[in-house]
Amino acid sequence: MSKVRVEGLTRFKAYEILGPLGVVFVISIGVGLISASLQLAVQFALCNLVMVLALQAFVGNSGVLSFGHASFAMIGAWVSGMSTASERVKGNALALEKLWEPLITWNLNLYTSIFLAMIAGGVVAAIAGAFLMRLNGLAAGIATFAVLGLFYNFFFNNTKIGPGSQALPAVPKFDGVYEPLLLAMIAMILVYGLNVSSIGRKLRATREDLMSAPALGISTQKVRWIAFTLSGTLAGLSGAMYVHVAGTWQVQDYYLVFTFLTLAMLIIGGSASMWGAVAGTLVVTAVGQVLLLWEQGKSILGLRIDLPNGARSMLIAATLVGMLLWRSSGLTQGKEFDPRRKRN
Amino acid sequence: MAQDSFMASEINKSFGALSVLMGVSLSIKPGETLGLLGPNGAGKTTFINIVAGYEKQDSGTISINGVNLDGMKPDARARAGVARTFQSGRLFAQLTVAENIALGALGLGASHNEAQERAKNTIDVLGLNSLATAPAATLSHGNARLVGLARAVAAEPKYLIMDEPAAGLNESEVPKLLNALKVIKDRLGCGMFLVEHNVGLVAKACDRVIVLATGILIFDGAPKDALNDAQVKNAYLGDAAFGEMI
Repeated sequence: MSKVRVEGLTRFKAYEILGPLGVVFVISIGVGLISASLQLAVQFALCNLVMVLALQAFVGNSGVLSFGHASFAMIGAWVSGMSTASERVKGNALALEKLWEPLITWNLNLYTSIFLAMIAGGVVAAIAGAFLMRLNGLAAGIATFAVLGLFYNFFFNNTKIGPGSQALPAVPKFDGVYEPLLLAMIAMILVYGLNVSSIGRKLRATREDLMSAPALGISTQKVRWIAFTLSGTLAGLSGAMYVHVAGTWQVQDYYLVFTFLTLAMLIIGGSASMWGAVAGTLVVTAVGQVLLLWEQGKSILGLRIDLPNGARSMLIAATLVGMLLWRSSGLTQGKEFDPRRKRN
Repeated sequence: MAQDSFMASEINKSFGALSVLMGVSLSIKPGETLGLLGPNGAGKTTFINIVAGYEKQDSGTISINGVNLDGMKPDARARAGVARTFQSGRLFAQLTVAENIALGALGLGASHNEAQERAKNTIDVLGLNSLATAPAATLSHGNARLVGLARAVAAEPKYLIMDEPAAGLNESEVPKLLNALKVIKDRLGCGMFLVEHNVGLVAKACDRVIVLATGILIFDGAPKDALNDAQVKNAYLGDAAFGEMI
């Protein structure tokens, strides 16, 4: 018999990663050069992209919904923001008057702080995952939401380690789109690498059949934990990027709106593939930008539609419901980028 | 009893007030095919779920080659050398037949190339070449079971547990299954535990047969003796019906 083809198991195809990398690169540079406001939009979109990739790595491959990833971003952002914010501001800002002394003098360079943010996100995810990955279905989703609530309340009410409900100002910002773009592209490569790895395949086996995967020697808890830790690391990166785009750290930025928006991007794009994460982020961001301008009473290419405030969020929510009802596998139908695929 | 065997000793299991297994003990030697017969509700599926780690026994021990499996989860038991099949096949619908079989090896730590090689060999040995590239979702019931068996075989287990592999097969598919079992035994040499309703298949495929009735082991011996055992006939289906199934 000729060679048996088993590409569906662990399938590395260069175009599946190069295509999305190219799309993200071209759009980021192209749009980012148009204006300062669009450059900022691109920067935020790249932060969201990394978060959506983090969610895809775990949620998409395991089928277990996580509401808790924003907490890893929250921690990553806090580490990177607190360690790079101006010492003078940390020592004098009214919102930080109770800040623990060592945090005031804590000072790292930008890239060290981002690396540390990733480690922090990964370590917290690893610890949380050691307990949470024993759960399945609704229980797992609710437990991850509890983790988010735990960290939100910890930061919101603790003024010794941060500004509490206020903002930490004077965090250094990225200069242009190149830095967040490079970080997002690294995240894309990491997530694609997981998806085509043996671990990724085993994780999808647990998603597809929770009974038969263990019969093949696959430890559901172990493969989920590995993916959860990696995705926590990427969520930490996303948070670190976000804080260096916004220039401030505020706990509210990493709570329900952020959780909902990034999950919506993943589901709309298609949770089962890295390309789905990219497509969902691009589409929701682009549509969101258009709607935002109409909410603000501006015209786009001569077209102006007056929308009430909140229309953007409502439309994203309605799109999410529509996708779940009629195209639950998302825009990409769970497939990776393939330039040869026929359009449906 | 020799160390190099699969052993279940004094297995007891109850669901509430209902005793499903009462002091069931058995052993399987390497290369031996043991059949487990019993009417519906005899405790067969509960027993193999306990053996494979999907349910816990109330008391008793399971061991393989002297290593105690109690407390091990299904994946750990699979890595210890116990593979199982499911009544419904439980294939990964999005994968092809070859990929499903390769995953049987990949799950236990084989490299991609090794898994591919094992899939190829298993497909060759079990005569599944015509199905290799077919999506698992498109398979007939009988072929899905055969592929489920092939997936377990690709793991190269020490002991293979099969949960009613002939259930729902048509008359032309049963000989195919019987042939597959013979090939697996010859090539792999693993101990096999065949839980089945099809008395004829068990009689032809097995070296030894045990019979469960209402959670109690009532027979352990050669297939031909089981077919003539009055207690088995009485507990199983009654003389006439039992005879017709052979």
